[in-house]
Amino acid sequence: MKAPFSPYLDALAPKMKKLVELLGKSFDYVSILSTDSVGFQANISKRSKSITGSNMTTERGNVIRVWRGGQYSEFAFNNIPAEIETLAETVVRQLESQFAVLQRTRTQPYDTPILPDEPQELFVEKEAERLPERADMKTLVETFTALSDRGLETVPHALDCAISASSTHISKMFVTKNRFLRQSYVYTEGTCMAYAPNEEGEMKMAHVGVSGCGGLEILDGLTEKLEKLPRQMEEMLRAEKIVPGEYEIISDPGISGLIAHEAFGHGVEMDMFVKHRALGADYIGKRVGSDLCTMHEGALCDNSVTAYAFDDEGTLAGDVIEIDRGILKTGICDALAALRLGIAPTGNGKRENFAHKVYTRMTNTVFDSGDSTLEEMIASVKHGYLLSGTQSGMEDPKHWGIQCIIARGYEIKDGKLTGKVVAPVVMTGYVPDLLGSISMASKDRQIEGNGACGKGHKEWVKVADGGPYLKMKARLG
Amino acid sequence: MLDRIEEQIKALGCTVWELREQTVKAWEFYFIRHALDQNRITEVETVNVTLYRLLEDGMLGSASGKLSPTASDDEIGKTLADIYEQASLVKNPAYTLTDKPVEAPALQEVNVEAIAEDFISAMSKVQETETEFVNSYEIFVKEITRHYRNSNGVEYTVRYPSSMIEVVVNARKEDHEIELYRMYDSGTCDADKLCRDVEKTLRYGKDRLVTEPTPKLNEFDVLFSTDDAVQIYRYFAIKTNTALLFRHLSDWTVGKNVAENATGDRVTVKAVSSLHNSSKDYPIDEEGAAIQDRVLIRSGVVENLWGPRQYSQYLGVENGSMVQNFVVEGGARSEAEVRQGDYLEVVEFSDFEVDPFGGNIAGEIRLGYLHQNGTVKIVSGGSVTGQMAQAVPTMEFSSETEQYDTCVIPRVTRLKDLKITGIA
Repeated sequence: MKAPFSPYLDALAPKMKKLVELLGKSFDYVSILSTDSVGFQANISKRSKSITGSNMTTERGNVIRVWRGGQYSEFAFNNIPAEIETLAETVVRQLESQFAVLQRTRTQPYDTPILPDEPQELFVEKEAERLPERADMKTLVETFTALSDRGLETVPHALDCAISASSTHISKMFVTKNRFLRQSYVYTEGTCMAYAPNEEGEMKMAHVGVSGCGGLEILDGLTEKLEKLPRQMEEMLRAEKIVPGEYEIISDPGISGLIAHEAFGHGVEMDMFVKHRALGADYIGKRVGSDLCTMHEGALCDNSVTAYAFDDEGTLAGDVIEIDRGILKTGICDALAALRLGIAPTGNGKRENFAHKVYTRMTNTVFDSGDSTLEEMIASVKHGYLLSGTQSGMEDPKHWGIQCIIARGYEIKDGKLTGKVVAPVVMTGYVPDLLGSISMASKDRQIEGNGACGKGHKEWVKVADGGPYLKMKARLG
Repeated sequence: MLDRIEEQIKALGCTVWELREQTVKAWEFYFIRHALDQNRITEVETVNVTLYRLLEDGMLGSASGKLSPTASDDEIGKTLADIYEQASLVKNPAYTLTDKPVEAPALQEVNVEAIAEDFISAMSKVQETETEFVNSYEIFVKEITRHYRNSNGVEYTVRYPSSMIEVVVNARKEDHEIELYRMYDSGTCDADKLCRDVEKTLRYGKDRLVTEPTPKLNEFDVLFSTDDAVQIYRYFAIKTNTALLFRHLSDWTVGKNVAENATGDRVTVKAVSSLHNSSKDYPIDEEGAAIQDRVLIRSGVVENLWGPRQYSQYLGVENGSMVQNFVVEGGARSEAEVRQGDYLEVVEFSDFEVDPFGGNIAGEIRLGYLHQNGTVKIVSGGSVTGQMAQAVPTMEFSSETEQYDTCVIPRVTRLKDLKITGIA
């Protein structure tokens, strides 16, 4: 079925169009993004249970963007007075008081051209079988309880097995003088996480997840995924410390995605080019990886948790080839960064929610597949590790350092997995060295969207990333 | 808004509930170098509703949801009915809401405009050079008003300022340019402290340009002298949280000595109800309980627990409020004494983490000062790893302390024999 667009936003549309008209008397450009996204978050384990009707992407509110004299300003709000004229007056008065502070502090604007406003209408309702707002919570809780019990029974030494699920039906409306865009889609994700102490009393975690653009049907995949938990925990409990050094590595699709995200995903967010915060700006057209390194980015790349039709500035979703056979081709950008750089936006302007500023953000960041099999890749390794399990990563676009904290590594010696497991693994290195060392890529690829991405240490948004198995060289500790 | 919601809750027949209304008025300014990228205002009001129902066999059901100020009466009614229905599905052992009246301090006047102006003026005074300069910064100043009401008649309102400034600085040498990142949270603007720290970061930037590769040090002492050390002490505080204890994610029960046979300094951590210029300086927690000053860990021995009311009651903890501010007592040695001998002082990690569950320590070194055999080398690259369980018995920290937003911690902390993966 189609995920129906919010009736609340449909009813709000005439008011927002009127508000654009009223504010147009004071400003040369006016846009309004209105959101009405509903969903839930459920956490079920033996020792703790909760259900809430809000999660990181549920919201209802509006943000106005205006331009005057080369300067962009925004006003975000979620209370709407009966008279829209009153709201227009409030917005103008409040922004004028900010302008007064800027005048007193002799602050000059970063002079930026006005956004184009070509006529455009769009109405998109994506497919979803079971909507979160119509969820049969009783059945869901029973299913999650059974999964949690099953995890506790099967995962060795587990103290608890927590099932977390969230689903959001997103509706967004973008209005300017000449544009009227509306979209509705649902994304859903779920995880099973077990924890158990090892012999030294250190707590070890094992987790699996499912995610995608769609309704609660996506959570059906948790049952099959749960079967992987016992072995994963058994490996975590007997894991040894790694001997630090440089190794041949094979990243599984999850770790390939983490590398894609941290290595070049952040590195080619072009709002960073505007600020001269990214080394990538100097490497367009130059080699940054091996011939086997091709990377895509865009909401159209995959039907994932971030597969929107237009971004939070009203730019249609795209699919950009960032790296083509090792050569850096371009980056991704929001609309204001595009204006400042004199290029076209790529549909990557995202907000944490309506109350937050737009930044250039990733959507699906994915390495292309190759033509090897995993077996061939393992057979080619003299001494190294097959890395699996994303914990965290940190970018360094200015210096191209990379840090990934990885749950575990499976030792490979003389072309065979030895059965030895190391954990945790800290992978560090220099991005071009890492991508330049890609020597094999598997035929298959996977994309995962069970996490959130920050800009620096804030502004959390949903992203997805992935790729095939990749063989590289990296420093592990 | 709360009255409309309360009326409908009572009509549902729900007798146990909590309402949390939060209004945030924020002024934001974004700068590229010192030119204004964008200015923003936000005015956002939300109400969180939690409904409870007593179930058979003494269990308590609960569920929650969020209501927008634009919700119609019909929408409010449907949302509350859904929440009440869901509350019957979530069965936890019973616990009670607070019924002790609390006296909130008089509502503070928060002048968002003046605080924002202070930040803008402060950043214009930072001493920059041709080669060490501010790249960009983002200023967020909020007035937060929290209004709590529950079915036991407990009601209070607190208002407080909460600010954050993110600063990126660059340093350049010929064609080579690097950046360093800082994020400062506080109540209002402490202009002198801000300028002092940004200027120190500029000096770090200069050093970052002349680093040598970190050598393979294997096991070596690491000294923490920046806000990264908050992660170390947050580990101690989190381990005494009742939510973790109830879930068996911590075994730090009252009386446990967390540093058996310690040869170094023993940690004393206090929970405090108020901390000057903290971004979360309010004396009543989000569950309507007055926050009390308490010692959580005294000289390495767990003395009190803290945490959400639900889990605190399960563990028989009285007054286990949700604390926001912590003070760690200084150690027996001065900073100069802690700094004696060979050590690696890391002042920039790409990201420094202390996993509160497993105690794993990890971070990639972006800038460090290697004090070895009487010389100091500026180093970069490689990583620091370790385990808190092994580091705690021998850790040393200074008697001098420093405040980082919600935490006061020793100015320098030395963890011994961490693993250093070098690149030289």
